[in-house]
Amino acid sequence: MYADSQNDITRLVVRCAQLLLAYGAESDLVEEISQRLGKALGLASIELSISSNALVLTSLVHGRCITTTRRIRAHGINMMVICELQRICLLTEKGIYGANEVRRRLAHIKPKSYPAIAVVPMIGLSCASFCHLFDGDLIACVITFFASAIGMMVRLFLASRHFNLLVNFSLTAFVITAFAQMGYLWPITQTPQAAMAASVLMLVPGFPLINAISDMVKGHMNVGISRWGHATLLTLASVIGITIAMQMGGIF
Amino acid sequence: MLSFLNLLLHDAFFSAIPAVGFAMVFNVPKRYLVYCAIAGAIGHSSRTLLLQFSMPIEWATFVAAALVGLITIRFAKRHLAPPLMYAVAAIIPMVPGTYAFNTVIALIQLTAQSQVSPELTAQVIVNGLKTVFILGALAVGLALPSLLYYRTRPII
Repeated sequence: MYADSQNDITRLVVRCAQLLLAYGAESDLVEEISQRLGKALGLASIELSISSNALVLTSLVHGRCITTTRRIRAHGINMMVICELQRICLLTEKGIYGANEVRRRLAHIKPKSYPAIAVVPMIGLSCASFCHLFDGDLIACVITFFASAIGMMVRLFLASRHFNLLVNFSLTAFVITAFAQMGYLWPITQTPQAAMAASVLMLVPGFPLINAISDMVKGHMNVGISRWGHATLLTLASVIGITIAMQMGGIF
Repeated sequence: MLSFLNLLLHDAFFSAIPAVGFAMVFNVPKRYLVYCAIAGAIGHSSRTLLLQFSMPIEWATFVAAALVGLITIRFAKRHLAPPLMYAVAAIIPMVPGTYAFNTVIALIQLTAQSQVSPELTAQVIVNGLKTVFILGALAVGLALPSLLYYRTRPII
């Protein structure tokens, strides 16, 4: 293998790893996919060092090393991208794809997301069924539906304006709680606390928390701890929003 | 017996909806949403079943998460997609969100007071421990198939 093709292949592999991390894959999966992709494209070995916001990758072939670093900016979770990258890796391993096809597929990856008109009612329904599982009555479920649907609209709007995620979560939690307090202010429901508890569940950072623990269990300690810290901060940010709304509504 | 079955079906239906809703937030491709719903329904209703036999919630969650892990590995092998894609959406109904929020709300109330009150401290400790242990049970339960069986080889 010539030096320029090692360069090329290393760039492809590091691009793949960068995309995987940016769209929310766990560290073990990133390591596995990039090592398999590198081996399938003819490198002898790939070594990765992942930290919370950067990635260092070394490829080795014929006693020659190339090390490269990439900065990672989190883009939110997008499983479509991760699914696509996994498929590219498998097809390359089977020998169907060479370096050129991989490059073409990588260049064509676009993070598509569901339109707001589908996500907003689905999140409303999800939180309403949480409310139902917490033994809320029908009116409480209706309040939850509207509170979390409005909250999701706020969240998507703030995300499209590129606000900091912490600011976004605080403001969203504030709006949701302010709306969900309706059950306390007027005696329309027997179970106002179920509506309050269920409607903010949309803000629980479930994916970062699970990723954090599964990283730590599989030995990626520093990434796991940083993800855990991020998830805790997000929870804290939403609780600040909730507290302000509750104090303004006079529930505390 | 019939009412028991009814409870489980009811539980399965109302946990399938959040599984799909959150799968859409994570942008799971459309053709896999159904599998997220199935895994979510099986996971949450099996936890409810175990809770009916008065198992502690942490152990019930652990077993349910291991079950979800097993099912999603089947799905992953069939569709050649990462198993975590189905699994994370499926366990969202089991994430201890209420415990987590109660912990932090009690913490903030504690900060607002001038002296330490034993009730609030107890609330922080109890809810915080529940949160951490249920989350640990979820993540370790999910990872169980790859920790015990797929030790040296990749899942797909």
